[in-house]
Amino acid sequence: MSSERVTLTVPPRRSLATVWLVATLISVLLLAVAGRFEGGRDDVDQAEQRVGFLDEGSLPIPAAPVASGLPASGRATVVLFLRPDDAAHECREVTRSVASSAAVVAVLSGSATCAEVAGVLVDPAGRTAAAYGMRVPIDGGPPVGYAVVDDRAMVRYRTLDPHPAAHSSEIMTVLAGL
Amino acid sequence: MTAAAVRVRGPWLVCGWCVIAVLVELGLYASYRGHDARFHWFTHAFVGAAAALAVMTAVVLIRRRPVPRPLLWPMIAHLFAMAPDLLFSGGYVHRGWMNLFLGHIRVHFVPGRNWTWLAVFLAALAAYLVAVDRARPASAAA
Repeated sequence: MSSERVTLTVPPRRSLATVWLVATLISVLLLAVAGRFEGGRDDVDQAEQRVGFLDEGSLPIPAAPVASGLPASGRATVVLFLRPDDAAHECREVTRSVASSAAVVAVLSGSATCAEVAGVLVDPAGRTAAAYGMRVPIDGGPPVGYAVVDDRAMVRYRTLDPHPAAHSSEIMTVLAGL
Repeated sequence: MTAAAVRVRGPWLVCGWCVIAVLVELGLYASYRGHDARFHWFTHAFVGAAAALAVMTAVVLIRRRPVPRPLLWPMIAHLFAMAPDLLFSGGYVHRGWMNLFLGHIRVHFVPGRNWTWLAVFLAALAAYLVAVDRARPASAAA
């Protein structure tokens, strides 16, 4: 009876080793596979993407002007960094979600429709993105994401985000935290 | 109830908590995936599990027997580690004090990122399993 009880409470050594091996295989496999889901517009370092807190690294820094006198003191501004292929959708949806809390301007890496925002800057050379410290995505192309500028015209948050509109609630959370 | 019924039902009754733990983790992964945040699920899962396994190892060494419901401990620690993400979903931006939740912010920035935490988790798991093995009475050693 006592040996049965011991068998139930302390598994055999071979079973314990099997548990570790299976856990190792599953964990390594899952982590490796998950990494393959990152797209070309994601950050090379996922730890740097959508960190969720203000003033990371060298921030805050003064915000470079984009368009229509924005960003400016007095009101928070969301600066979108977009590529032409999805600019229209992202501009429309982000503006719809955050316009009540902040001005929205866009920096485009090429000409595109972006009618709803307060101002648009076409900057194929990427100087504005560099001034905001936007990181280079996996595919090496222009950054897609956004920066959040506070009402003193200081950049407080910046991140690559291939789909800013899909995460507009996060932008609202960051704005609420300013 | 017949003896056969007991034998059939027994494993399911014993392992109900295993199923719950796995389903909770799958649900959490699906939620993070839905927010394009798989990276963060791995970080907090590995950190939480490693912390739980460290505690479990200490408990085994003290009590000289395996902990009850071992899958629940890492799951609960994972929930604790990720709690600031629930606050973020509720509209609260991350702040420094949230590092109280097993280093919720800082843990993302260790060299090697999630691969480092995977190694820590596996080391903690190995330590726990060795402790369990050593808790075996000498008369029952393999």
